[in-house]
Amino acid sequence: MLLTVRFSSSFIGNGNNYRRNVSLELNPGLNSLLTPLPPGVGLLHVRALGKNNTLHYLLCSQGAPALLLVHTSSISSKVEVDWPAFLMQNTTGSLKVTPESSVLYSNALVFTRLWEYDDVNDTADPEHLPPSSFFQPYELQNFTWGDLNKTLDPTGHTALLCGRDASESFSNGLLCLKFSAFDFEGRDQGWPSLLHNANSSQLRMGLDVVAPRSNRSRFSLELQAVGDSQPMSRVDMLRSIDDEYTPSIFKVSQWVSSPVNSTSPVLGYAQWKPVAYRRPSPVFEDATPCRHSTPVPVAQLPPSGLVRAYFGGEHQTTGLNMTFSITGDPFYNTTWTVLVGLGSPPVDLFSPLVLVIMVVGLGTPMLIILLGGVCACVRKNRPQTQVYEPIQAKPGYVSRL
Amino acid sequence: MAEERQKLLDEEGGISSSDPRNESGPVKPMSALCDPRQLLHRIFVLLFMCFLGFGSYFCYDNPAALQTQVIQISETKQCVVFGVLSALTRNWLIRTSIGHEAQHIHVHAALCLVLLAQRGALFPGGLPARQGLWNQVIVAVGALLDLFWLMEIGRFVFGIGGESLAVAQNTYAVNWFKGKELNLVFGLQLSMARLGSTVNMNIMGSVYNRVADLVGLTGHTTLGVSLMIAGATCIFSLVCALVLGYLDKRAERILNKEQGGTGEVIKLTDVKDFPFPLWLIFIICVGYYVAIFPFIGLGQVFFIEKFNFSPAEARAINSIVYIISAPASPVLGFMVDRIGKNVIWVLCAVVTTLIAHMMLAFTFWNPWIAMSLLGLSYSLLACALWPMVAFVVPEHQLGTAYGFMQSIQNLGLALISMAAGSILDNKGYLFLEVFFSACVCLALIAVVMLYFVDCLRGGDLNLSASARAKLLKCSNSDSE
Repeated sequence: MLLTVRFSSSFIGNGNNYRRNVSLELNPGLNSLLTPLPPGVGLLHVRALGKNNTLHYLLCSQGAPALLLVHTSSISSKVEVDWPAFLMQNTTGSLKVTPESSVLYSNALVFTRLWEYDDVNDTADPEHLPPSSFFQPYELQNFTWGDLNKTLDPTGHTALLCGRDASESFSNGLLCLKFSAFDFEGRDQGWPSLLHNANSSQLRMGLDVVAPRSNRSRFSLELQAVGDSQPMSRVDMLRSIDDEYTPSIFKVSQWVSSPVNSTSPVLGYAQWKPVAYRRPSPVFEDATPCRHSTPVPVAQLPPSGLVRAYFGGEHQTTGLNMTFSITGDPFYNTTWTVLVGLGSPPVDLFSPLVLVIMVVGLGTPMLIILLGGVCACVRKNRPQTQVYEPIQAKPGYVSRL
Repeated sequence: MAEERQKLLDEEGGISSSDPRNESGPVKPMSALCDPRQLLHRIFVLLFMCFLGFGSYFCYDNPAALQTQVIQISETKQCVVFGVLSALTRNWLIRTSIGHEAQHIHVHAALCLVLLAQRGALFPGGLPARQGLWNQVIVAVGALLDLFWLMEIGRFVFGIGGESLAVAQNTYAVNWFKGKELNLVFGLQLSMARLGSTVNMNIMGSVYNRVADLVGLTGHTTLGVSLMIAGATCIFSLVCALVLGYLDKRAERILNKEQGGTGEVIKLTDVKDFPFPLWLIFIICVGYYVAIFPFIGLGQVFFIEKFNFSPAEARAINSIVYIISAPASPVLGFMVDRIGKNVIWVLCAVVTTLIAHMMLAFTFWNPWIAMSLLGLSYSLLACALWPMVAFVVPEHQLGTAYGFMQSIQNLGLALISMAAGSILDNKGYLFLEVFFSACVCLALIAVVMLYFVDCLRGGDLNLSASARAKLLKCSNSDSE
């Protein structure tokens, strides 16, 4: 079973024609001889350099997989990691972005748990099910992750993080997170084809060939978010008339962090389209809806080494659950794959083709009406040629009686 | 002297007996119902004409109504079913020939073919064998082998019959009602057709379930029995066709009408002589209908996803177009009859449809408004467009013209249905709606051109009803 989730968190407010210089770096500042890394732990640092600011993305597989985003106002900011302390996972400040005074905004998204529940009545609504329907969740912090070095693609600015549990269900299965960073505006080829720009990154989650623990299992993914000043606290669901890039999906969900006053700008967000696909290369029928629960505050920090190292202490955490599929959809089985889309916040516009068709389609009749009207008027005003000559005395004609 | 005058009067009476309004006809008086010249008789004939179409259209939508069951049995993908069955019933080549034949006495030949084909339509699926006509042999083989291709053959035969039925019906209507209530008649025919479709859509599902309960299992047997029950309506159409054939022959005899016996030869190559306004009418027909039927076919999920309707609500709003057109068509036909100016009404219908599609594509406004507009404009177009063919084409080419119009309409529908399916799979509903709007724009361009071509050539397509009646009277008195 392959469950794929795409996620992105980003900034707005810098326009869509922005270009950044993106570079990838694995385990910055690590001396592997001094501090050998435990297997499956890696820290990916992506630096997206703008004109007068920098975006740092940090993807870490220590504990629960987390993506940290830091926005600084300087072009020479860098990430400093105190590796021994970082690997101990109990020291705040073992990961720093310096100079610390230049940090404008930071936000982290953590994948904490994968819940599995027995959907006895086929409702696909875990919020109303009794706790007994839920199996023991898969704690993503206990997963063994693959080596980021092998799956890094410096030119494509992507990295793939795959991991599995020690339990039987994941004996053939994998949970993969594909991270992509972008230097310019664009759109992915595969559905849900979210529009991204230089201020966004994308996470695509895939759940592959996981053996379900019951005949009617459905899955739900728990996400948590941590922010420095304002965590992502609410989810806005926007309706759009355009489903060109994700056929039959007319909504976009955005988990935003913004001050309580809703007129102030959104600081950061996670965006997705409420759809999951059951195959990696889906066709129209492979779409299945996904729903989110209302974000609620969580008492403690998520179990991620990265978050503890960077934030530590008193920071607000919110969490929500993403549930997949709907009543009547097939249950998970070993050949079923799901794709869920999360995206970046730029608003989708009509493609140029649509605009051209509408202009041509509506303009041509108008043109013809205009031309025809002109022709008709001209014809009306043309002097009528008389068929008969008027009877009047011609010179030289003498009427004979 | 008096005898001479009497003889002259008698001769005059004989000559003008072809004028339907003349009172001094044959010596034997007939009741109003039996007299082919009277309105009451024409209404009687109209009744049978309408029910003739009802059975045909009832069976026509069977695969759509039982789509899930057919898919389960054939194990083919949805788009294949939709495409194959709609393409097979559009055998346009045959239709053109039948249209060409549906002149003078060959109206009756078409009706006979219809009878045969309707028997074919009775058994389009696998069924227990039964005694009967030649196609029962095919059915028996199909029942034993339980083959989807047999259903396809059945649909093919049905297509031959059903569509020639439509052409014959159109020509028939013009023969009986030209210059009188033609728009109303076309409206009524459309009404009955849509009624047949709607009734089919709504009850076939429950018929299938009842049969499944009776028989005890789902599968090809149940499907076959359900289709056979549906086919019973074809027997009803059959009876109507026979009655109509008899009535038509009788009217011919009484009125000494010579239909098309003017000595003009009918050729298939008449097609290239069709006047330019007729080609524009063809374009309007194709451009308009491809934006209605495929949209209704694919619309249910659109309403569920975009407007958050429940599946039951989505089905209801999908069928509102047909439900509105059933009562609206005769009313609008009557209106167009009274007022005339067909081209303006066609223009109104096309513009309203364009507005409806754009509302559905670009706004979140209540879709009931858009779909009601669609239903009204669909009815209006049918009432105003089809009679126009009778105004542009000479009588002896009328069948060919209608046949050709049906052909290319169905060809267009078949191709566009498949195109619409693939557009939706790849590009989504907005693009599909824009595509349909573009098709309606094409029809709009054709209407506008038709108006100006007709206007500038001094044609008579856009006459008001009174002006047309005057014209008819003049031409009648000219021909005497």
